[in-house]
Amino acid sequence: MDPTLPFDTAAGWLQETLVLPLLYRLGLMQWEDIGYGWALFAVYGAAQVALMYAICLPLERFRPVERWPDSKAVSVDILYTLISRIGLLPLFTFVLFYQLQVWLNGWLTDNGYVPPTLERLFPALLGQQALTFFLYVIILDFADYWRHRLSHRFGWWYGLHALHHAQRQMTFWSDDRNHLLDDIIGFVWFTAVALLIGIPPLQFPLLVLLLRLLESLSHANTRLRFGWLGERLLISPRFHRAHHGILAAGQTSCNYGALLPWWDMIFRTADFSRDYVPTGDPEAPEVLATGSYAAQQWAGLRAMLRAMVGRVAAG
Amino acid sequence: MPQRLRGLFLGALLSLACIAGAQARGVVLVVNSASASLSVVDMATRREVRRIPVLREPHHVMLTPDRRDLLVGDTVGNELLDLDPGTYALRRRIPVADPYQLGFSPDGKLLVINGLARAQVDILDAASMKLVKRFPLKTMPSHMAFSPDGARVFISLQGTNRLAAIDLHEMKTIYEVTIGRVPAGVMWLNGKILVALMGDNGVAVIDPASGHVDRIVPTGEGAHQLFLSPDKRILYVNNRVVSTTVALNAADLTTLRVYPVPGGPDDIDFAPDGKLWITQRFAHGLAVLDPATGSVDSIQVGRSPHGLIINPNAEASAP
Repeated sequence: MDPTLPFDTAAGWLQETLVLPLLYRLGLMQWEDIGYGWALFAVYGAAQVALMYAICLPLERFRPVERWPDSKAVSVDILYTLISRIGLLPLFTFVLFYQLQVWLNGWLTDNGYVPPTLERLFPALLGQQALTFFLYVIILDFADYWRHRLSHRFGWWYGLHALHHAQRQMTFWSDDRNHLLDDIIGFVWFTAVALLIGIPPLQFPLLVLLLRLLESLSHANTRLRFGWLGERLLISPRFHRAHHGILAAGQTSCNYGALLPWWDMIFRTADFSRDYVPTGDPEAPEVLATGSYAAQQWAGLRAMLRAMVGRVAAG
Repeated sequence: MPQRLRGLFLGALLSLACIAGAQARGVVLVVNSASASLSVVDMATRREVRRIPVLREPHHVMLTPDRRDLLVGDTVGNELLDLDPGTYALRRRIPVADPYQLGFSPDGKLLVINGLARAQVDILDAASMKLVKRFPLKTMPSHMAFSPDGARVFISLQGTNRLAAIDLHEMKTIYEVTIGRVPAGVMWLNGKILVALMGDNGVAVIDPASGHVDRIVPTGEGAHQLFLSPDKRILYVNNRVVSTTVALNAADLTTLRVYPVPGGPDDIDFAPDGKLWITQRFAHGLAVLDPATGSVDSIQVGRSPHGLIINPNAEASAP
């Protein structure tokens, strides 16, 4: 049986019983295909959150790195996750990416150029959807390494990214605690790469969701290592925790990778030596660690602007 | 249903059933828009026997007028696939921007291609496949119908609730008129233009000369596509929101019967044995509707199946 069938069936049911009647009542039936895209992302996103929960919660419960008397600071991270994975962001990503790809590739076609795709570069990949998907994962992970590394390098960007690092109670929910502007920059970054290699629009949000599933595990508050070889094949919670360590916060850090440690190893930013360090950014404003969603967004924006103004003043 | 209509309806069904033997033969080619593939379904065993990969997001399929080529439009892949209609072997890829809906003029000389996402209608010379003229039409040009003399093509504009009429001799737009919410399927029938209104619950009957809506025939919420039976006596309308296929008397557009077809019914093709093969967009299925009994069987195909075409002479085991 096709392993995607249960998800597709659930998405179809969601589309037929909820999305279509709603679009009809709202007079928005022209967006029914987009609605179906959202139904797919919502189902895959919900399944991903459930899977993440099923895997990470027992790990955090039985093999935690830290125990906290009060986990209130984690609750805002749950909100970030739900918005990011089930709600509006996958839809936003799909719609924008779809439109961009249609217009760019249509324009290229009109002008006699063949739009780029991996399958056109390597025709043997046509029909090998699983293999092609895996190659997309590797390419996007490489792109994400550099996006992440640069987000630490530039002060204004780190002003936004500090929101992600400020969490002292890091759990598997923490992966999505990002400033909206940081998410948008990430989207533009991924989109440029995805357009260059011709990722199909429906696969794009699913690829991001897959990357995020493993990133969630790497943020988990758990004592989990993959062994000498395993840690050099896939990023473990121990490896990524070193990146979130209080000594690694800010503009000089290590272990930037999201899924594969290869890029850190190649570009000499890997540090396999640190064991389960405390997390957080001691220099970040307290609101970024414990504030509400809105307060964190506002504080992130101010930090970015301060860094920009400071740079101009210094220059 | 009045006695006269019932007699007409049963007669039409019987004539359909008598066109060929009771046992379905041949294959159906189904275009899976969200899994970048084509499914080949054996009509006798009602099983998918092959899946053919394509590049990105195919939607519709159409035979060329000489029936020698089968064209599949891959919108996101920006190409038309030219297939052998007997074996579905790929003959060539033709670069075309956003080929969503395809239609040949009645004389076969022009190929009209609606680019739904790019809000454009391309008129191509069918022999050379060269662009004759592009009409930017706002927005979402989705379906089309030609006047029988081939002088005009009518395009539904899903995003702006309008119908556009293009003069194919002068190569200019005659009119764009508002006709109702989210127009989709278009058909020329008995001197009128019929347009399924997906944002409404029926089919608009339109004067082709002026674009004026004479009346709306209720069929069900989310009316999407229209198909005329091979004997031209029954008009089938698929309703997307309520998931029904409605049979109308093609002569006066009165309702004959309502068939529940789950999963968002979309395109239809007619089998020689009189059954309707219908893509189910959200059930990832291909429904086989027996109009005599109302029974529906569903065959699993790819994700979001859209266009389809029956080839009663093709072999299921073709390479």
